[in-house]
Amino acid sequence: MRAVFKRSLASLEDVFAFTEKFFAGEEVDGKHLYAINLVLEELFSNMVKFNEEGPDTVSVEMLRQNGAVRVQLSDQEPEPFDVTTPRPLDIDAPIERRAESGMGLFLVQKFVDSLDYTYRNGTSTITFVKRLD
Amino acid sequence: MLELEHAGDGRVIVVGRLDAAEARKAQEFLDGIDNPRELDCARLEYISSAGLGILLRTQKRLMAKGGRLRLVNVSNHIRDVFRYSGFDKIFDIVGVADSGQ
Repeated sequence: MRAVFKRSLASLEDVFAFTEKFFAGEEVDGKHLYAINLVLEELFSNMVKFNEEGPDTVSVEMLRQNGAVRVQLSDQEPEPFDVTTPRPLDIDAPIERRAESGMGLFLVQKFVDSLDYTYRNGTSTITFVKRLD
Repeated sequence: MLELEHAGDGRVIVVGRLDAAEARKAQEFLDGIDNPRELDCARLEYISSAGLGILLRTQKRLMAKGGRLRLVNVSNHIRDVFRYSGFDKIFDIVGVADSGQ
């Protein structure tokens, strides 16, 4: 299942509706919905915030495959932004040393079973897999 | 869709999804309350890193004045997000199961 979404945080409602429609159509257990929506939002909102000059839309494809959900986001951007680079977060730090941003990719890397990034001909492609066990 | 309500005595009820699209609304609401003490999450369906940032900023503001925000009626999914991000060390968190609901 594939869809394109306007590059705007306001599109998140449509992104979540897309995920719910996929879950219903593929009869995926709803217990996995939160994790997939969270990862999808973090990646999509990064594309909105850090590639403002990009094309009007971002493409999302979702597939059920080998006991897992595989999600792919594609975007055209001038420079690569590798989301698989480790994003350490000191969760034991006292509150005064905790930043209010920078937690998104840390959570992405916590919630997925695999995460891949490629950059070819100006197109970033992010693929993540969440197992359904 | 996100709704927030100040139920009095520093108690705030949050309903819906606290995502990147709703973060500003939540921040403005919480900034407008002098001393929020408790966030009732019973009807909070979802929170992402954008929402975590709002809660963290609010907690910093309160702690600077000697206050503290407590998160109550937290669902298991949201509790996982709090735990992964270390928020269980920053906030007092009471889960749905803990409160017997």
